[in-house]
Amino acid sequence: MSANYLVAQDLHKSFNEHKAVNGVSFTIRKREIFGLLGPNGAGKTTTIRMLSTVLEPDQGDVIIGGYSIKREAEEVRNLIGVCPQELALYVELGALDNLLFFGRMAGMSSQEAREQALAHLKLVGLEERAKGRIDKFSGGMKRRVNLAVALMGHPELLFLDEPTVGIDPQSRNNIYETIEGLRDKGMTILYTTHYMEEADRLCDRVAIMDGGQIIAMDTPHELKAQIGSPDRVTLEDVFLKQTGRSLRD
Amino acid sequence: MVQPRLVWFIALKDLKLFTRDRMALFFFVLFPFMFVILFNFLLSDAFVDEDNRLVFHLITLEEETETAVSHQIIAALVTPDESSLRPGEPLVIEVDDYDELRRQVEEKELGGFLAFPEDFTESLYAGGGADIEVVADPEAVYHRAALHGLAQGISSWIGAEYAVRGAIIELAGEQAQAILQSLEGQVITGEPLIGYTSDNTAGDIVAEQPTNYVIPGYLVMFVFFAAALSAEAIVRERQNHTLERMLASSVRRSTLIGGIFTGTAAKGLVQIIIFWTVGILVFNIDLGVAPAAVIILSFLMVIVSAAFGVMLATLVKTDRSAGSLATLSALIMAPLGGCWWPLFIAPQWLQSLAKITPHGWANTGFNKLMLFGADFADVGPELLALVVFTIVFASIAVWRFRTAAS
Repeated sequence: MSANYLVAQDLHKSFNEHKAVNGVSFTIRKREIFGLLGPNGAGKTTTIRMLSTVLEPDQGDVIIGGYSIKREAEEVRNLIGVCPQELALYVELGALDNLLFFGRMAGMSSQEAREQALAHLKLVGLEERAKGRIDKFSGGMKRRVNLAVALMGHPELLFLDEPTVGIDPQSRNNIYETIEGLRDKGMTILYTTHYMEEADRLCDRVAIMDGGQIIAMDTPHELKAQIGSPDRVTLEDVFLKQTGRSLRD
Repeated sequence: MVQPRLVWFIALKDLKLFTRDRMALFFFVLFPFMFVILFNFLLSDAFVDEDNRLVFHLITLEEETETAVSHQIIAALVTPDESSLRPGEPLVIEVDDYDELRRQVEEKELGGFLAFPEDFTESLYAGGGADIEVVADPEAVYHRAALHGLAQGISSWIGAEYAVRGAIIELAGEQAQAILQSLEGQVITGEPLIGYTSDNTAGDIVAEQPTNYVIPGYLVMFVFFAAALSAEAIVRERQNHTLERMLASSVRRSTLIGGIFTGTAAKGLVQIIIFWTVGILVFNIDLGVAPAAVIILSFLMVIVSAAFGVMLATLVKTDRSAGSLATLSALIMAPLGGCWWPLFIAPQWLQSLAKITPHGWANTGFNKLMLFGADFADVGPELLALVVFTIVFASIAVWRFRTAAS
């Protein structure tokens, strides 16, 4: 069993009177793909923002690679890559320009940034469109560039916040293969998604969040086994059983 | 705390985005010149013909004697041959009926005139100072300002003449002084010799070239407008999480603010370089006796505008609000601050109100330097005011800056 690479302890975060995250604790082992599932407003994105040091928790702490996000944020930032839910890109610039810029922001030299940028664009199947403007790309291509940017700096821990929203099956499949390839190379990944079948396919363990709290956490197989035969029950069944069927929007 | 290399990269990225946006380039670089050309055309020689040529009426109430200085001044200024005047050059004529001139001004048939009192030479030689009377129609703002300028010019000219004579007397000794005193009858002092009193005046001097105040006015307006609209881009970055993405990749908050500020300032610098270059080469503008002061004032104006733009971004939640606030601030502050017309022709209350805007201070500084022959020291208050505005705007920006949309 691998050692824990991330340890989140009793995280709390409120916005005005609303408790977005309310006592979340979990661990992620090295080389693990850990899924964070939950309906809209469950607190997944707030949790990722705290883990990635851009939002300070009201209470609790997270240790990543031995460093505290509260006391050693800069060291933590050197270990992580973030692929946000939004397309956090400069759409007026080319794909390569975006990767080079964020590479420089991560402290890379010009040459190092270029080498990595070209390698990552190749990884996501966009080496032919390296100089194309992002605003001319399809939704799937933009998502892949978003992922490629997160890989700049070869992070040890990657946060992927719904990286496959609104894209075609081909692009989604490309992203799955990329993520599996990264895990095989030793990367640790925290993955949030609304698509249960992709969590079932990719994640070693999943945590289901609702109302700012983790209400279930185990391997997909074990979670399914809790409500029936794992061969006949889907992760979506588990999810709906845990979070209910009422609309959240 | 700030990471200078990263600040530079962020600023470069912003400049790159600016150059990729053709509409922004047109609006903030080419479009202002369309304004300048239009207003320069409206205010320049193209509209000056025989009928609306500026005419100065001069009158002296002194008796004509060999030593009457006012007669000598008028003789030197009067236009000898009207047909030799170029378009836009003023016509200077001497008249001899004071009451008739005054009546014409009161009945608004004449913009105004300059009058030398009957004891002008005597007062001058007595060393106590002499006054030139400026009589003007309060509504004839250009004429009034021009008469003020002429009176100031005469005052400076005579003052300099007598200062030189004073120096020669000092150097040549008592004998020369005795000769000059016997010639002119009185002791020469170092005090200002000529002042002027004005009747219904408010203004200083009219510009010879409209571009000398049209270009700085529109430069101030469009630099501030571009900086204010940068707020829209900053808010958009906040909304699409690129700021957070930078923050999560080893960029400190102070670096982020520094980079955004530098990028906004860099765009302003591009604007002023283009404006002054085109202004000098194409419109033949005159930077005055202290071009370095014009450059420093321009630089400070860019700094304060960048701080203003970043501050605006921290006051709104959406990019649409930022765009609206930027446009609104430009449309209010530009006319209030003298970007659309020179402040020195504006009523006193508007001149006072202009001081609440950085535009007003910047424009006053440019007018002083480019129209009124001011030196570096003369624009000290304007430079200081812009520094204070920068500190205030930047403090608010740093205090309220956030990277997330929520």
